[in-house]
Amino acid sequence: MSEAVAVELKSVVKRYSEILAVNNIDLTIKKGEIFGLLGPNGSGKSTTLKMLLGLVQPDSGSITVLGKDVQKDPVAVKQQVGYVPESPRLYEFLTGIEYLDFIGDIYNMQTEEKKNRINEYLKALELEGREGDMINGYSDGMKQKIALISAFLHRPKLLILDEPLSALDPRSARIIKDFLNQLKMQGVTTIMSTHVLEIAQAVCDRIGIMYHGKILALGNMKELREMSKLPDSGLEDIFLKLTGTGDTRAIVEELLK
Amino acid sequence: MNWKNVLSLMQVDRKSGRLIRGRKLTRYRENRFLAYWPYWTALGVGLAAGLLAGVAYNFVAASDASAVGDFKDGALSLFFSLPTLVLIYSLVFTLFQQIQRSGVRTSAQVPYWLPVTWQEHTLASILASLMGFPLASVVFIATATIAFSPFSGLVVPAVSTSLAVVAAAFMASATTEVFRILQVRFIGAVYKSTGRAAVWVRFAGSLVFFIVFYILYFYVFYGSGIVTFIQNVASVQTVAWFVPFVWPSLTLFYSFMSGEVLIGLAFMVVSILFITGLFFLATSLNRRFGLYEPPAITVSRGVYAPKTGMLGRLGFSSLEAALIRKDLKAFTRRRELMAIFIFPIIMIIIPLFQTFGSTSASAPFQLSTYLAAYTFLFPAAIMAMSLGNFMVGEEGQSVWRLFSSPISAQGLIKSKFFFIVLFSLIVLAITGTVGSVIYHPTARVVVIALVEGVFLICALGALSLSNGIRGADFTETPRPRMIRQSTAILNFVVCAAAGAGILAPFVPYLISSTLSTLMPSLGTLPFLDPYLATVVSAVIALVLTAIFYRFALKNAREFLSKAEI
Repeated sequence: MSEAVAVELKSVVKRYSEILAVNNIDLTIKKGEIFGLLGPNGSGKSTTLKMLLGLVQPDSGSITVLGKDVQKDPVAVKQQVGYVPESPRLYEFLTGIEYLDFIGDIYNMQTEEKKNRINEYLKALELEGREGDMINGYSDGMKQKIALISAFLHRPKLLILDEPLSALDPRSARIIKDFLNQLKMQGVTTIMSTHVLEIAQAVCDRIGIMYHGKILALGNMKELREMSKLPDSGLEDIFLKLTGTGDTRAIVEELLK
Repeated sequence: MNWKNVLSLMQVDRKSGRLIRGRKLTRYRENRFLAYWPYWTALGVGLAAGLLAGVAYNFVAASDASAVGDFKDGALSLFFSLPTLVLIYSLVFTLFQQIQRSGVRTSAQVPYWLPVTWQEHTLASILASLMGFPLASVVFIATATIAFSPFSGLVVPAVSTSLAVVAAAFMASATTEVFRILQVRFIGAVYKSTGRAAVWVRFAGSLVFFIVFYILYFYVFYGSGIVTFIQNVASVQTVAWFVPFVWPSLTLFYSFMSGEVLIGLAFMVVSILFITGLFFLATSLNRRFGLYEPPAITVSRGVYAPKTGMLGRLGFSSLEAALIRKDLKAFTRRRELMAIFIFPIIMIIIPLFQTFGSTSASAPFQLSTYLAAYTFLFPAAIMAMSLGNFMVGEEGQSVWRLFSSPISAQGLIKSKFFFIVLFSLIVLAITGTVGSVIYHPTARVVVIALVEGVFLICALGALSLSNGIRGADFTETPRPRMIRQSTAILNFVVCAAAGAGILAPFVPYLISSTLSTLMPSLGTLPFLDPYLATVVSAVIALVLTAIFYRFALKNAREFLSKAEI
């Protein structure tokens, strides 16, 4: 694996009973890249992201993250990764600050560094004043902010974010997008899954479109336009055309009957 | 009232039980017959019991005609007690259900965006709470009494009893509904007024509530208490006529036993009025506070400043200390975990209450020695066993955090095992002190019991932790499961065997000692020294702890590597 490669999947297959969730995919993501994984519900995005962190074991194939085999050395991989799942369930009996303190200790952060970063993030995402409340009293957006801070806190080399901007207010979403771009400059790789195609188009360097467990298309916006033969279109049209789900007008007409 | 809505809401509640039973959720098809098996079973058993009682009645009537009157009077007395008994246990079980669900907020959410009125929602909630054991016992009682009635000629009293039992069960569930809503509102007020102390107020309040609840529960449902209780219910009811909860029973008493039908009718009318009043009270409380959510508890204020804890100085890594601190907070803040904490203690308090009379100064020395050892050993052992079982499963749906963090099997087991030992040692210290004060054991008994308590804690803690990882169940709705039922039962059996193994070296000494007390001429065998038994026991405990700690490590490695979320 080359020095410049952050993530490499080779012939990865994952099956849940009769459902083939991930069907023999090969994927290479470079260091410092923001990679977007798109696809309809059930296309295998979340399973792929979980496999990168060893949360789901592939049936066959190999996965290398930051030069390490996830299955052989999962702890070393997790030490360098920040992860936000699709619906993050936090320890609701802890306060926001206690949760972040817990995360800092889990990643063995120095006391002063932990303190400074937690206070900075809380201020940036406007959680100041509520950090001492128990998480079970937080709104979904506040919980999402805590989950995001817990992924960023230890300055990981790779961020795996499943729907990172869901439930966030516009200001916080903007901060996170800008922050991801800044991290990219510092060589941090981000892999994110989202259904909001505008976000993917605006933030991601490259996009992979998954469908029925396979990667249908892979590339930057220009390459995707060429592949779909839609030279002036946005990501939504490209996505719908490539996934074969574009015949929405007929469906709407049927529903209106 | 849209009855279809009520039925649909009840069905949703009933179906939530699928998650409790851990059913496979993919391609799930419900078998209608099996889904209602408790009620079919209650119907079958009730029918059999009623017919058997009828046959017994015929037999008595054929062999001794004079006994028929007594038999009938006995049956009527039982009929008369049934509504109040059903009310009491329905109240206990529905309250118990609410306690179990209190940890999961989402299950109590009212579907307020649906076109459902508060009356429909309240009625569905009251009826759904009755599902399970209360409803099954109502079916059993109604079937049994009606099946028995044609033999004895008590058809009208039997049918009336069945209706009264249904009314009593509804009364109990409606009371629980009122209690539930008021409790949520009361908790909110407490959080608001106590500010940062809310966490500790809640902890202390929950412990007091659980202790009182479980003491009453065990008093009513276990041992000789239940027989005394039934007798008390039968005799007290007529005196306590002003308590609305006994009115269904009094309806039966005055209608069929004392022959004062008009008074019976009056009690029937006021019973119906009371039930209607309860329902309207529950509905109006739901309308007012049904969507109320207690305010968030503020634990700390001001600028965040991390502290260097004592755990670091004890040799724990930052990660291990973080896990221990997190679990400590979980056990003082999560209500369902507080209940686990209190349960082993309550289990010991109840028999202690029952033995108070027999352990006075006149009690034989041997008995008080055994009881002192019992208070040292059992609460701590049960605590270690329970904690070991639940330590991993209590993570619930938040377990993804463990899976996605750089946590090694060693770190996980070390922190969890330390927590189990620490909490169990605290229990050992408290119950040991209480036992010493009550039973005045000798210094030798105290030392040996204390040491054996530590051995049991270590061995059973490691064993249960090992099993707890394998059988962890992270389901949280409608209530946190934490451990698979089969694993919990298996763990109990294995722990009992391991505990017996650790204490086995004392058996020859205890037999010899007891015999010498009963027959002083026998004397004690010189080689049976309790300290020698302690050394042998220590070796057994050490070996078991080492073996099961290794098992726990192996299971933790598997758990972390096969993390499937």
